[in-house]
Amino acid sequence: MTDRRIGVYICYCGGNISDYVEVEKVREAICHDSGVVVAKTTMFACSDAAQEEMIEDIKTDKLDGLVVASCSPKLHLFTFRAMAVRAGLNPYQYVQVNLREQDSWAHQHDMENATEKGIRLVRAGIAKCTLTKPLETMRIETTPKVLIIGAGVAGLRAALTLSDMGLSVFVIEKESEIGGWTGKFGRMFSTDNKGSDLISTLYNDAKQRDNIKIFTSAELVEKGGNVGDFSVVIQVREKEKISLNVGTIIVATGFDSYRPSEGEFGYGYDGIVTLPDFKQLLDNSKGSLIFRGRKIKDIAYIYCVGSRQSPEMENPNLYCSRYCCTAAAHTSIGVYEKNENIHQYHLYRDMRTYGKYELLFTDALNNGSIFMKYADDYEPKVSKAGDKIRITVKDELTQGEEFEIEVDLLVLVTGMVPRENDKLIDILKLPIGRDGFFNEIHPKLRPVETVIDGVFIAGASQGPKTLAESVASSMAAVAKSAALLMKGYVDLEPLIAKIDIDRCIWCDECTKACPYNAIERISVDGKEVARAIPALCKGGGACVPLCPQNAIDVEGYTDGQITAMIDSLIKGIN
Amino acid sequence: MNYDVLVIGGGIAGMESSLTLGDMGYKVLLVEKEASIGGKMVLLSKVFPTLDCASCISTPKMASTAHHPNITVSTSSEIDEIINQDNGGFLVRLNRKSTYVNSAACTGCGECEAACTVAKADPFNFDLVAHRAIHIPFPQAVPKKAVMIREGTSPCSFTCPAGVKAHGYVSLVRRGKYEEAFHLHMEDAPLPGSLSRACYAPCEEVCTRGELEGSVPIRAIKRFMVDRYYEKHPNPEYGPPEKIKNKKVAVVGSGPGGLSAAYHLARRGYSTTVFESAPKAGGMLRYGIPAYRLPKDIVDRDIKNIIALGVSIKTESPIVSLKSLKDQGFDAIFLALGTMEGFKMGIEGEDLVGVTDCMTFLKQTSSSDKVDLRGKTVMVIGGGNAAIDPARMAIRLGASNVIIQYRRSRTEMPAHDWEVSAALEEGVELQVLKNPKRFIGSNNHLEAVESLAMRLGEPDESGRRRPIPIDASEQIFPVDLVILAIGLKPSTSPFANELKLNRNGTIQVNEETLQTSQSSVFAGGDAVTGPSMIVNAIGHGKRAAFYIDRLLKGESLEGIIFDNRLPATEASSVFSRYQSDDGNNGNGHGHRQPLPIVGMEIPHKSLSKRPPAKKRERPVAERIRSMVEVEIPFSEEEARYSANRCLDCGICSECHECVRACPANAIDFSLRDEEQTVEVKSVIISTGFNLFDARLKPTYGYGKFPNVITAMQMDRILAPTRPYNDVIRPSDGKAPDNIAYVLCTGSRDNSIGNPICSRVCCMYSIKQAQLIMGALPLADVTIYYIDIRAFGKGYDEFYEQAKGMGIYFVKGRVAQINEKDNGNLSLHYEDIEGDGGLKQAEHDLVILSTGFSPNIDYMHMFKNSHLESDPQAYIREIDEDIHPGKTSIDGVFVAGAASAPRDIPDSIIHSGAAVAQTAAYIERIRAKS
Repeated sequence: MTDRRIGVYICYCGGNISDYVEVEKVREAICHDSGVVVAKTTMFACSDAAQEEMIEDIKTDKLDGLVVASCSPKLHLFTFRAMAVRAGLNPYQYVQVNLREQDSWAHQHDMENATEKGIRLVRAGIAKCTLTKPLETMRIETTPKVLIIGAGVAGLRAALTLSDMGLSVFVIEKESEIGGWTGKFGRMFSTDNKGSDLISTLYNDAKQRDNIKIFTSAELVEKGGNVGDFSVVIQVREKEKISLNVGTIIVATGFDSYRPSEGEFGYGYDGIVTLPDFKQLLDNSKGSLIFRGRKIKDIAYIYCVGSRQSPEMENPNLYCSRYCCTAAAHTSIGVYEKNENIHQYHLYRDMRTYGKYELLFTDALNNGSIFMKYADDYEPKVSKAGDKIRITVKDELTQGEEFEIEVDLLVLVTGMVPRENDKLIDILKLPIGRDGFFNEIHPKLRPVETVIDGVFIAGASQGPKTLAESVASSMAAVAKSAALLMKGYVDLEPLIAKIDIDRCIWCDECTKACPYNAIERISVDGKEVARAIPALCKGGGACVPLCPQNAIDVEGYTDGQITAMIDSLIKGIN
Repeated sequence: MNYDVLVIGGGIAGMESSLTLGDMGYKVLLVEKEASIGGKMVLLSKVFPTLDCASCISTPKMASTAHHPNITVSTSSEIDEIINQDNGGFLVRLNRKSTYVNSAACTGCGECEAACTVAKADPFNFDLVAHRAIHIPFPQAVPKKAVMIREGTSPCSFTCPAGVKAHGYVSLVRRGKYEEAFHLHMEDAPLPGSLSRACYAPCEEVCTRGELEGSVPIRAIKRFMVDRYYEKHPNPEYGPPEKIKNKKVAVVGSGPGGLSAAYHLARRGYSTTVFESAPKAGGMLRYGIPAYRLPKDIVDRDIKNIIALGVSIKTESPIVSLKSLKDQGFDAIFLALGTMEGFKMGIEGEDLVGVTDCMTFLKQTSSSDKVDLRGKTVMVIGGGNAAIDPARMAIRLGASNVIIQYRRSRTEMPAHDWEVSAALEEGVELQVLKNPKRFIGSNNHLEAVESLAMRLGEPDESGRRRPIPIDASEQIFPVDLVILAIGLKPSTSPFANELKLNRNGTIQVNEETLQTSQSSVFAGGDAVTGPSMIVNAIGHGKRAAFYIDRLLKGESLEGIIFDNRLPATEASSVFSRYQSDDGNNGNGHGHRQPLPIVGMEIPHKSLSKRPPAKKRERPVAERIRSMVEVEIPFSEEEARYSANRCLDCGICSECHECVRACPANAIDFSLRDEEQTVEVKSVIISTGFNLFDARLKPTYGYGKFPNVITAMQMDRILAPTRPYNDVIRPSDGKAPDNIAYVLCTGSRDNSIGNPICSRVCCMYSIKQAQLIMGALPLADVTIYYIDIRAFGKGYDEFYEQAKGMGIYFVKGRVAQINEKDNGNLSLHYEDIEGDGGLKQAEHDLVILSTGFSPNIDYMHMFKNSHLESDPQAYIREIDEDIHPGKTSIDGVFVAGAASAPRDIPDSIIHSGAAVAQTAAYIERIRAKS
C-alpha cells in the first residue's frame, strides 16, 4: 500500500492505440490499484484540452504523482513535464508509459494480449511513479559564444548572423582556404550568383567584425563541459593549441563529391569527367568550350552516378543526392549559353528538379537538350570509340529503343557523399545516419539539432542540399543556438548518478566506467569517496552495475524503481 | 500593446518561428485566420518518410505555442493592414473576428455542438462530412474553444419586423424540437398562434429558396409548431417573474402592438396594465380578422401567454387623456391605439342605415352571431385586404350576392392576389373600374348604389394608374348593405392636446425609440404607421418595451441600438456555398456533398428539385357554410419536409439551442468583430499554401464523380481522427480494392498556369499508398507519375520500400477520367514505359494528388510598401542564396510554403532561417535607436 496520490491517464491517440488496445479495459483494470486516485482515458493526452484537464485534476485532487500512458517519451516526455510544472507538480514525479510504440503498434493483430500487456505496462508505470521523489534541475549560466566548424558558405553565413545578434563566433576550417565547395564554383543555380563571389562577400564582411574569429588549417581536438558551457581545444596548424569556452557548437563540415570508381560508367577514360569537374571547366573556360585541346561539340550527362545505387552493390549509396538533377540541368543551360550548337544528351532516371527548379529543367528542354530515361536496372554502357565516348542507352521514353550516342565529353552527374570526419565524430560523439551523414534528432521537426545538447548540424553535413538550402539550414542552426544562448542559462537534468558515501569504499571502478569523466574523488570526514559531478554526469548509468558496494543509484531509475517495475510486469506469470 | 514580432499564420512554419523567437526572449504576436493553430499539418494522417503520426507531432508544438510566456496567439483573426514606420517597425491593424463565444468562459466541452440544429460542410475534413454551425474545429484544436459560424442574419429572420428568428424555429422544427421552436418564438413575439394564421409573412417573400422552386412555407411551419404546442399546453407553463420592479406601465390598446409591449414589459418585471375600450382584448386580432382566417380560441390562447406574466387587461376602459393615467401613478405609457376608424367617402347617402365601414362590420360580426345576411345583396367598396375580409364574411353570413367594387383594375388592387382569388372562388363578384357616386335610399335606409365607370390615367405618386371618372356612365345597383373599405385611420383625436400628431392623425415619434413628444409616453403600431401588418405592431411593442425599460432604469436612450442583427445574407453567397460552377453539384468549398450528420441533411445538388409541399385548403362548399378555418394545417411529415428545404442562409439559425446547452454561459450573440492596433518591430509571414482546386482540371471529373477525391481528403480518411472510421469510397461506402493516384494534378502543367513542381505530392502519395496497403491489404494501388521526386533525406529509400510492398508505378500522364455505371472510373493514360500506347485502366477509387497554389492573402496587407511576388505569385525572396526568407520589404520575412512549395522539414528549416534574419533585424534597429 502507498499513501501516494497518483493520477493515471490512458490515451487513445486518435486510434493509434485504441484500435489495437482496449483502452477502457486498461483503465478499469488499474483504476482501483493502490495509490491511484484518478484514472481516466482521453482521446489525445497531448492535446491542450487534455492537458488542462490533468492540471485541474492535479490541483483539485492534490495529486503527487502522474502517469500518462501514451506514446514514446521521446515524443512527449517534455510535453507532460511542462504540463506538470504548470500544475505545480514536480516534473520528475511524472512517468510516461509507452503504450503505442511498445504495445499497440507492436501487436496490431492481437487485441486481447495487447490489452493485457497494456495493463502490465501501466502497472509498471504506476509502480515506478510510486517511488518517484521531487528533483530539482541544476541551472548553469551559458557562455555567449559559438564555435562553428567549417568555413564553407554555411559556416560563414552562420557566423555573420550570430554576430548580427551580438554573439561571439569562432570559425575553424580544416583546409588552408576558406570557402568550401561554393568558393570553387562560378554561376550557381537558381540565382546565377557566382559561388566565389558569394564567399568573398561573406568573408570580407566577417573579417570586419570584432566578434568573429576565423582560423584556417584548424581542427577541434578536445571537447569537454556541457551544453551552454563547452570547453574546447583547437589545434591550429602543427603547433598552436587554443582553448576556448563556447556555449554551443555548429557543425557545418559540408560534403564530399562522389568519386566514381575506375571503370564506373567508363570513368578513367579520357573525356569522362564528374559534374563538379565539368562545372569548373565550364566556369573557367573563355570563348569556346575546350577539353584537353579539343573543341567540344557533343556532351552527354549520365545522372545518378553514386546515388540511388542498387542495394546489391557493396556499400551502396541508396539515397538520392537531391541537388544533382537541377545542377546538371543548370550546367547544360550554361553550355547552351556559351554555344547553342553543342548537342547535349541527358541520360536520367527520374528528373528531380523539384519545386521552382522545374523551371530550369523546362529551360534546358527548350534549349534543345535531349533527355533520355534509362531504367533503374539497365544502366547505359560506356565505351571508347576513337577520340569519342560511345554510350549505349535504352530510352524508356521511346518504348525502350536502344540508341548509340557518340560524344566528346561524358559528364558523370555525381552526387554528394558524407565527408570523412572520423576524428571530429569521435570528439563530438556525433550520431551518424544510415546514409553516413550526420543525424538530426527528428528529421521533420528538429532537423538541425542532435542528441548532443548544444551541438547543431548545418548544411550538407546533415544530408545533400542545394546552396540555398545549406544556407537556410545553417541559419536555422543559428536560431536554435541563439535561443539557447540569449536566454543566458540552461537547466541540466537532475537524473544523474547519486553515490551513497556510507557504502562507497573508493575502489575507482566507477571512474573507469564513466565515458564523461564525471566522477571525482573527494574526501568526506576523512573518508575517500566517489562523487558524480552534476554538470558532467549524464545519468548514463554505466557505473551502477560495476560498483561492488552497490553504492550508486541513478535518480529517476533507481534500483528500487526498476525492481518494482519488473515485479508489476511479471506479477502472476509463472 | 506592442510586440517584437508579428507572425502571420499559425501552421507549422508559424509555430516553429514563434517558438524559436519566444525562446530567444522576443515577444511574439501570432495571428491565425482559422479558429485553431496547427495549419494543414495537424490534419494529415502520417507524414513521410518516417510515418510519424502528424497530429502526435503537431499537438505538442501547438500546446507549447499556446502556453509560451512570450507568445500571444490570436486565432480567428485577420490582418487588415500593415504600415511601415520611420523607426523600422510596423503598425499593424488586425480584425479579431467574433466567434460569438466568450472564449474565457468556454471549456470546450462540446455540449453546444451536440445541441446545434444546423449542419454544414466541415472544412477541416475537407467537406467529406458535415459538422455543426457551432463546433470545436477538430479534436486537437488549440485553443479548444467552440466557434460559431455566422454569415449574416438569414434573410427571413432579418426581414421580420418583430425580429422573430424564423430560421431558428424552422431549423428546430427540422430537428423535431417543436417545443423549443415555440419557446424561441416567444423570446421575440408573444402571439405565435395569431401570427401563424394571419401574418402576411414578409419572411417568405425574401426566402432564398424562393429564387429556386419556391420559398420555405415559414408561416405554415409556424402554425404546425404552435398547434402542437397549444394542444399539449392549453395554458402557459410559466407564471409572473419572480422579481417585480416598483414601476408601473400603462398600455393603451390591446391589439397586437399593445399586447406585445405588455408582454415584454412584464417579462422585465414591470407591473403592466392594458386598457382596452372594447369588451374583449385582442384589437384587430379579435375584431379585424375573421375567424375563418384566425379562430378566436387561438387569440384567447395567445393572450393567455401575456396574462400569465401578471399583466392586467382592463376591457371596456377607454382612455381619453394621458394625464388621467399619470394621475393613477403610471411611470410610463405605451399607446397602441390602432386604426379602428374607417374613412368616409364624403358622398351623398353615406349616413343611410345600411352603409357601414369594414371595421364596424367586422366588429359586429365577430362579437355577435346574430348578423344574418341571408338573401341579401352586399357591396364592398375598396380594393385592399380590408375589402376582402368583409366580402368573404358576408358570403359566410348567407348573402346571396356579394360584390366588391373597385375603382381601378385588378392589377392595381393592393389586396394580396391569393386573398382576391379566394374571395372569387367563394362566389364574390368583382366589379372593377367602378366607383360609387352616391348611395340611394328611402326612409333613411339604403336601397341602391349609383356608380360611375372609371378609366385609368397616368400613374399617381403611389405608382398606380390614377382612376378617372367617365362622364355620364352612371349605373345603379340595388343593394341591401354597403361596406366601405377605403382606408382606416387612428383614433388619436382625444390626445391631440397632449401629443404632437401628424396631419393624418398618426402620432409623431422618434423612429428608433418610439418616444413621443412626451418623454415618458411611447407609441407604436398602426396609430404611428397607419394601417400595416400585425407583425409590424408586434415589433413596435417589443421595441417600445426595450426603450421604456431603459427610461425607467434611468439609462440613456441616445445612441443605443435596439436591433443588433447582423446584415442579411446575400442569396448569391448562399448559392455559391451549395453549387459548384456547373451549378449542379458540390458545395461552396469546391468539393462534394458531405455525408450528413445522422438526421441532419445538408441541401445539395437536388437543390432545385425539392418543390414546396402543397398548401391545402378546405373545399369552397364546406368553408362558405361556417367560420371553419380555410387553411388545412401541415402534417408533421409535411412540416419537417418543408423545414428541411431551408438552405441555412446565415449558417447559424439563431435557434439558441447552444445558449441553453452551454453549462458555462459562454455563448453571446451580441459579440462583434474587434479591431486591434499593435506596433511590432518585425514581421514574419508564414501563411502557407492553398491546395490546387481540382475542379480547374475538368477532365478529371472532380466534383462530378463521387469516387474521384483529392489526396487531402484521402489523408483525412486515413488520419487517426478520420471521418468514416474506415477506408471507403464516397459513392457507396464500399471498401475500394483498386485505387489509382494521379500525380501532378495542378503541377507541372501549363494548361492550368502552373509550370512548377509542388514537391510534396510524389511523397505523400507514396505515403498514402503505404498506409492503404496496411489498411486494405488486398487492395491494388497504382501511382500514375511523370517523375518520382523522392529527393529528401530518406525519401528515395521510402520510394524503394513502396515498390517492394507491391505498389504499382506507371509512368504516364492521365489525360481523362470517365465514370462507369457502377461508380468505377476509367482512366485514359499514355503508357510511357510500356509500349508507349494510349491505354485505359479501370479503378474503383481515384485520388488526385493535387499540388500547391500560392496563398495570396499577403497581397492586400501592406499599405505604404510593396511586397513583391514571384512569377507564380508566391512571396518573392529577394536573395534566396544568402538571405533565405528576406522579402522586398526591410524587416518583413517569409517562412515556409508562403514563398515556394516546401515540405515539412524544409518549412521548419526555412522558418529557422527567417527567425535568424528577424532576430538580426531587431537587434539592428535596437542598436540604431
